[in-house]
Amino acid sequence: MRTTRLPAEIRPVLDNGVPAVMVTCSADGVPNATVLSQVYYVDETHAALSFQFFSKTIRNVRENPRAYVCVFDITGHASWALQLEFQRSETEGPIFDAMEMQIEAIASATGMSGIFKLRAADIYRVLSVERLPSPEAAS
Amino acid sequence: MSDSPREHGHPATEPARGAGESPGVHARVDANPEELARRTAELARKAAEFQILRRVSSDINSTLDLEEIYDVALRTMDELFEFNHANILLPEPGGETLAVVASRGYENQATGGRVRIGTGVIGVVAQKRKMLHVNNLGQQRAYAAAQRRQMMRSGRATEIGDAVPVPGLPNAESQIAIPLLIRDELIGVFSIESPVRRTFSEHDRELVTIVANQIATAIHNARLYEERRRAAEALQAANVSLEARVAERTAALERELRVAEELLSDARSRVEGPLIGESATVHALRDAIAREAARTEPLLLTGPPGAGKEAVAHAVHGASRLRGPFIFVSCPELHTQHRHVPVDSRSAIRPEGLLLASKLELASGGTLFLEAVHELPLELQPALQKMLENHASFRSGDESHVSDVRVIASTTRDVARDVQSGRLTPLFRLLSRNRIVVPALADRREDIPALVDHFVRRLARRFGRVVDGVSPEAMRRLETYMWPGNIRELRTVLERAILVSRGTVLEIDEELLDEKLAVGSYRLVSLLGSGGMGEVWLARHRLLARPAAVKLIRPDAQLGAAHDQLVRRFQREAQVTAGLRSPHTVQLYDFGVNDGGSFYYVMEFLEGLDLHQIVSRFGPQPTERVITFLRQACRSLAEAHEHGLVHRDIKPANLFVTRLGPEYDYLKVLDFGIVKNQPGQDATMLSAQGILQGTPAFMAPELVFGESRVDGRADLYSLACSAYWLLTGQLLFPASTPAEMLLHHVRTSPVPPSQVSELPVARELEAILMMCLEKDPAKRPLSALDLDSQLARVPCEPWMQDRARAWWETHAPDVVARRSF
Repeated sequence: MRTTRLPAEIRPVLDNGVPAVMVTCSADGVPNATVLSQVYYVDETHAALSFQFFSKTIRNVRENPRAYVCVFDITGHASWALQLEFQRSETEGPIFDAMEMQIEAIASATGMSGIFKLRAADIYRVLSVERLPSPEAAS
Repeated sequence: MSDSPREHGHPATEPARGAGESPGVHARVDANPEELARRTAELARKAAEFQILRRVSSDINSTLDLEEIYDVALRTMDELFEFNHANILLPEPGGETLAVVASRGYENQATGGRVRIGTGVIGVVAQKRKMLHVNNLGQQRAYAAAQRRQMMRSGRATEIGDAVPVPGLPNAESQIAIPLLIRDELIGVFSIESPVRRTFSEHDRELVTIVANQIATAIHNARLYEERRRAAEALQAANVSLEARVAERTAALERELRVAEELLSDARSRVEGPLIGESATVHALRDAIAREAARTEPLLLTGPPGAGKEAVAHAVHGASRLRGPFIFVSCPELHTQHRHVPVDSRSAIRPEGLLLASKLELASGGTLFLEAVHELPLELQPALQKMLENHASFRSGDESHVSDVRVIASTTRDVARDVQSGRLTPLFRLLSRNRIVVPALADRREDIPALVDHFVRRLARRFGRVVDGVSPEAMRRLETYMWPGNIRELRTVLERAILVSRGTVLEIDEELLDEKLAVGSYRLVSLLGSGGMGEVWLARHRLLARPAAVKLIRPDAQLGAAHDQLVRRFQREAQVTAGLRSPHTVQLYDFGVNDGGSFYYVMEFLEGLDLHQIVSRFGPQPTERVITFLRQACRSLAEAHEHGLVHRDIKPANLFVTRLGPEYDYLKVLDFGIVKNQPGQDATMLSAQGILQGTPAFMAPELVFGESRVDGRADLYSLACSAYWLLTGQLLFPASTPAEMLLHHVRTSPVPPSQVSELPVARELEAILMMCLEKDPAKRPLSALDLDSQLARVPCEPWMQDRARAWWETHAPDVVARRSF
């Protein structure tokens, strides 16, 4: 079932920082896939993605604001497919702070402070949400 | 909570709820059995959570012990979330680190691990003060590691720091760290971890926030309690310390108060003591004080040292209408005290004068007491005299500044004698118009018991001793003692007796009194006689126990140059006398000046009688015995004259007859060349040139004239006068005054003794004596030896030892029987 709003059950999945895969496409149609550390729940129609090193991803998004993100519910054994559209980048505020806190926690303990850091919180509008069959269910 | 429905997530259709809601309780229940089971399980979970929350609230708030709070917190979190591994960390002093204070579920981790604030999940939570849940730690670490490798490959290794170990599971996959806050103050961090990925719902966040708040409040309260308990303990300790200090200070103040009371009592005792007693002497003294208190003229107090002149001055001041202060000035100390007085170099007034002036100003409206006024510097006396006469200001001499000070002075000098001799300075003449004689203690012996009782009670209280009084023997000793130091000495003796006493009844042993009466190496034992300004004491050598006679003479001179000159003369003459070896000259053992400024010399102690006593008691003596005495005196005088030493005071009282071993009627000449002291007469004088010396009844004419060149023939004249007394029992020239007698020595021819004596006088002896009594020394025998030769030729029955012995055994058997000491 596809919807244009983020369902309630996806929120803990996002809040818990479940690893996600993000796919973008350049203006000339070349796709790019990368792993995201955070997909942050903003509200029912918006999500924030962490901007750290993804120069290719960012360039693609700047050329083509559409993105496809797949998140995994490790407890519910479900996957979710989100179609998003880039709206803006935030470098401060509560969304940025919440996302930065987690990244800093890891970076400070791994000697990557100042390198492995949140550069911006990119705010995307949710175009569609679709729950995918779990791998176990599929098999 | 292994069966927690949380693990299965909430139904997608169920709206998000707050922690306080009870989902399903008010919702419509579907007939769907699965939904019913889910709702039932949800209710059970909520009920379980409620029970846990209620219990944690109860448990954690029922104790103020931090260890118990940690234990409840760890157990509760485990029950709620089953992460199985948990830490509680508290900030350390300095605010840069957190330390693990309690943990649960870690096999090899003890408390004490440390996290730097800002590092790792816990450190960042402490820094941001926000809860953080990470459930993909493994992936995050892998992602960071990948980035590290990428950077190292790209040559940016220097930008990478070292990994920082943090307490907790090394392979944790999920971690929740909750800040423990009280009004934004970080109390600590609660961290729970799991090796597997765990979701953490909004409901869980709310739940953990509730518990964390409980934990934070409990820890905060416990720490506050602990701080207050420590503060209370510190306060209590401070109170104890303060109480101890207050008690110590109070005790010190009480001691100071006791000392002050004792000093006051002591001061009162000094003032009141001398006036205690019911003797006629003290009654007269009190009457004199009352009489003088009503007057304003200067007052002079005379009396021996220690008799209580200052106390009498206080009494006069106290009984007067004066309301000003009583100012004490020690005249002998003006010399030393004036050094502290600022001096105006332009002023003509000497520093001593300025000091005295300042004391006078202090005494305004009151009394100025000049102690030992005879030692007031001579140069100050005119100014003081003028002030006393005109009531003028001492400092300015301006008579318009009327002085309202009553001046009372004291002196130990015999003013009555000075008045008679006309030797008073103008100041003394002025002061002596009003006099009170403060009696010596020896003159008021009947007051001694009352004085002893007074001093003993006060001194015993002062020293904290229980004293019932003095023993009868001690009292007898005190009553018969001479008290040369008067009341001051009595007080000192009693003070010493109390200090050394072991019982409640004081004993005053001889040593205690002896010690007060010591000169040089001799202790004075008893007073043999006194008069004028001198006393003769029986004394005993401290070590040799040899009896001796000590003569004490108070010099009639002020301190200063005159006194020093007197001391030098005394020493010189004593040294000459000590060189005399005649067995008929009293032997001089020692001499000196004691602490009181009195001269003393120690001579051999003689048992016997002087010629004055012999004649006074037993009448004229026979010729042969007189010749025996005269010849012995001649031998003594002959040696002295040979040394150029003239006795100048030969008289019967200085010719002492004693027993020397088996020999009776052994004559010794006393007081050789040192100090002339005539008991009963006010004519004690040193042998300085130009000063009238000797005893008028026995004084040679050339001494009366005060001739500067006097030789031994003056002593022969005096010896003849003494012989006249021995033979006749009468003085050579009877007269009513000393002056008349002196005139006789100069002008009058003596009556031969044979015409006066009731006993026969040998004609030859009379001729010799009349020759000795010639006004012109040239007509007298040439010398003492010449006189001795002439006496030896007088035909008479010899005075034999058996007669002498018989005389003594008949007339003075006690003297014959007595052995010294």
